[in-house]
Amino acid sequence: MIIDNLKQFWEYTGFANCDWTYLLMILIGLLFIYLAIKKEWEPMLLVPIGFGIIIGNIPLFQGLSVGVYEEGSVLNILYYGVIKGFYPPLIFLGIGAMTDFSALISNPKLLLIGAAAQLGIFGAYIVALWLGFSPAEAGAIGIIGGADGPTAIFLSSRLAPDLMGAIAVSAYSYMALVPVIQPPIMKLLTTKKERLIRMKPPRPVSPTEKKLFPIIGFLVTAFIVPSGIPLLGMLFFGNLLKESGVTRRLAETARGPLIDIVTILIGLTVGCSTQADKFLQVRSVYIFLLGAFSFMVATFGGVMFVKIFNLFLKPGNKINPLIGNAGVSAVPDSARVSQLVGLQYDKTNHLLMHAMGPNVAGVIGSAVAAGILLAFLG
Amino acid sequence: MNKLRLILVSGLVAALSVVSLNAQSQSDMRLNELLIYNTSDFEDDFGFRNGWIELFNSSYGTVDIGGCFLSNNRDSLTMYIIPKADVLTKIPPRQHTLFWADKEPFRGTFHINFSLEESDTVFFVSSDGRTIIDMIAVPKDLDTNISYGRVEDGSGSVDGSGEGWSVLERTSPSTNNAGVDDETKSQVMAKRDPNGLFITLTAMSVVFLALIILCFIFKFTGHIAVNKLQRKSSAATADSDASGTHVKETSAETYAAIAFALHLYQEESEAHDNESLTITMSHTDRTYSPWNSKIYTLRETPSVRKNPR
Repeated sequence: MIIDNLKQFWEYTGFANCDWTYLLMILIGLLFIYLAIKKEWEPMLLVPIGFGIIIGNIPLFQGLSVGVYEEGSVLNILYYGVIKGFYPPLIFLGIGAMTDFSALISNPKLLLIGAAAQLGIFGAYIVALWLGFSPAEAGAIGIIGGADGPTAIFLSSRLAPDLMGAIAVSAYSYMALVPVIQPPIMKLLTTKKERLIRMKPPRPVSPTEKKLFPIIGFLVTAFIVPSGIPLLGMLFFGNLLKESGVTRRLAETARGPLIDIVTILIGLTVGCSTQADKFLQVRSVYIFLLGAFSFMVATFGGVMFVKIFNLFLKPGNKINPLIGNAGVSAVPDSARVSQLVGLQYDKTNHLLMHAMGPNVAGVIGSAVAAGILLAFLG
Repeated sequence: MNKLRLILVSGLVAALSVVSLNAQSQSDMRLNELLIYNTSDFEDDFGFRNGWIELFNSSYGTVDIGGCFLSNNRDSLTMYIIPKADVLTKIPPRQHTLFWADKEPFRGTFHINFSLEESDTVFFVSSDGRTIIDMIAVPKDLDTNISYGRVEDGSGSVDGSGEGWSVLERTSPSTNNAGVDDETKSQVMAKRDPNGLFITLTAMSVVFLALIILCFIFKFTGHIAVNKLQRKSSAATADSDASGTHVKETSAETYAAIAFALHLYQEESEAHDNESLTITMSHTDRTYSPWNSKIYTLRETPSVRKNPR
């Protein structure tokens, strides 16, 4: 009797239900945690995602109501925020409340770099179609090129929920790899003379301008792309909380505890969603390759746009093309890459503040692009 | 230059408004389907079977058709006015509405004063009473309980030629004809733009348009802010000239040091929402009271006895 019970119990254990795919996914989860702790690559994201991958890939038999895909389980309830897409706008609220748009307001033409870098989204979209993905799936994959995890999750939850795990992991992985992917492309596309361009220091921005920015920004973008309201609305609302000067507590909650809680939940549940049977497919490999491609095209688009734009600017107003890469919305990593690459060629040329302009423009641009894709394909 | 910018920004905003208004105007409404002889098809709210005309909002915005007209006579385009101020005349994006052609206009907004049996052509007319938005010739040889409509909702001619219209396999009042809306947007896009080039060009144009508009607006507001600042500083210079005091030019390092000190001050102190950002040092008079005496708030420093015994 006892032996029968033990045999039965053995069948319930992870060991009995395990195969190599689960072990491989657990190894990937461990790799994420290693990269986060040892290399400090996006630890706030990779630790929850990495541990989520481990949680989601413990082999279990169905019916216990514990798996992320099992209706009514705790993980399933937490995952609801990803499926229904309400975590990403909350993260955007926090991003808005912590972002200073001064660099952009003082030099509005940098907004255009944020638009040009969205080329990565549509470059990947075209290639994904060519590889046989449906337009909705291609749109969800393409958004990886926006270099914005919450936007990628938001759009993929609407357009291709089955691919969301792979898309989210790919987006966050490449965001962590921005310092590796972007510099070679930036150096390849620019001449030494261009890398040494010194930009005019940004002018001081008045508090009134800062207060007007989120209101005007939202009205213009939302009227053009109403489907982007969840992301744009929360982004600009968060920024108004920050800049209004009278809602300091709300702004601090949005950029502090709220965004932390949502980041934990989104990271963990997205990690959990990468169950081996759903994640380990040829399509996931394509998604990872397309993700890398989209980041490269986005960097190319941003840098090349600055080079072309410079042809029309007066000598004193030229833009250093090394900030073109910052048009993707990986804030502030890509701006930091501009700074580091710039310093390699001129120790006194600090590009960080200039690069923050296109960087935050990229956040707006990718949200607008996501809204367009949602309108056409959703 | 300022005027030029103002005109440019105003022009952009106006163009945008016109585009957005036009996108949601009555001109997007289409006659979409009609049924002439009804013996076993759908009944109206009163339980009667009559011919009907379906309208379709082909835009992606809500359209109010209150005040528009339906007619079967080119010489009298205002035969039936669709009542205004009825919430039901606001047609949501890509949705349909149905009018019963029963010659019983007093039965409600959606009952018109002519029938299709006696009509050669049906006109949908703008609220100005003159502009024909859509028209279709009524096929008199249509069988009973069979409808005539656009193969794809909203697609086809608006000049009455009947291009894109056909006898439909099934009647579909207030719902989609067999057409594009049966497929997902993704499937439609796969057919229309299999390579993704058009959506890429469209989307990139829209992203650029949105950010270019923002760029112009913030250039404009920035210009105003800079002018204001210059006016203030020139006023301050004039004041200092008048008083004979001249402020020495401050170096960037000094600004950086002041900014850093202010930053530290704000970070470390519990600063309130609106700070004056003025740091002053002044003596504060506190008259003595046992309540604020430090002696009463401190414990006596403990001492160690060398010889406890």
